[in-house]
Amino acid sequence: MIVAFLFLASMTLICALGVVLSRSVVHSALFMSGAFLGVAGFFVMLNAPALAAFQVLIYVGAVTVVILFGIMFTQRPQVRRFSTIINRQTWAGLVATIGVGSFLAYVLSVQNWNYTSPGNGLREVADLGEVLLGLNGAPPIFGLLFEVISILLLVAVIAAIVVSRRKTGEGVDRGAEE
Amino acid sequence: MPPQAQELLNQLNATLPLEGYLVVGAIMFAIGAWGALIRRNAVVVFMCIELMINAVNLSLVAFADYLPDAGGVGVGYAVLVIAVAAAEVAVGLAIVLAVYRSRKTVNVDEVNLMKG
Repeated sequence: MIVAFLFLASMTLICALGVVLSRSVVHSALFMSGAFLGVAGFFVMLNAPALAAFQVLIYVGAVTVVILFGIMFTQRPQVRRFSTIINRQTWAGLVATIGVGSFLAYVLSVQNWNYTSPGNGLREVADLGEVLLGLNGAPPIFGLLFEVISILLLVAVIAAIVVSRRKTGEGVDRGAEE
Repeated sequence: MPPQAQELLNQLNATLPLEGYLVVGAIMFAIGAWGALIRRNAVVVFMCIELMINAVNLSLVAFADYLPDAGGVGVGYAVLVIAVAAAEVAVGLAIVLAVYRSRKTVNVDEVNLMKG
């Protein structure tokens, strides 16, 4: 357990730092999928294998591909100098971030979570489905949340099409001419 | 098997405390917040926001597995968070494409007008 935990934690955190600090945008996207794979490994360790499958399918598959398409549409993949990718707030941002991170880590580790023990998770996919529909002791609000989420996804898909579509009569993509 | 090796094996197989997962989630959240603060490229800012969402998901699933009264409901919340994050990526990248089409840049320092 400890070996797997240390491996996954180092993989996740190093890939997260790589997203922030790599000079090529494509490398950032690939580092991001590595961090998502690390989190999927954590989900397997935490007795949520169905959620780990969702994570691999949605994040490592779909979100990474969509973001790579966004990179391809908006810029040529090129390595830039380090000072051009980062704005002037680097050190102030680092101080604020270290403050937030150490505060969160301190509070979460000092807090007394009494009676914690692993293994309370829903290992069966059927239990997860009952939770998502608010059945059998799960909070019944989940049934409403499930419907709201499906409406939200439909609205988001339509909004993405409407926002990103080329207006009629605009002709070729102006970004492609340069 | 010698007793030292058995002891080492027991230590390696011991259950992890809840705080380990929570601290990893907190550090990952902080790294994502740092990237969202300092990077100039809007697409990379989106990636950092995804990192923060994943860190929160990790904390939710850790609580669902470790707290006995939670009933494993945190996994359901994590599924909802994943759906909202997917919707956010779709709309956000569409906005980035629209901004790029009219301004020819995705630098968040230069995009300061909603109407261009």
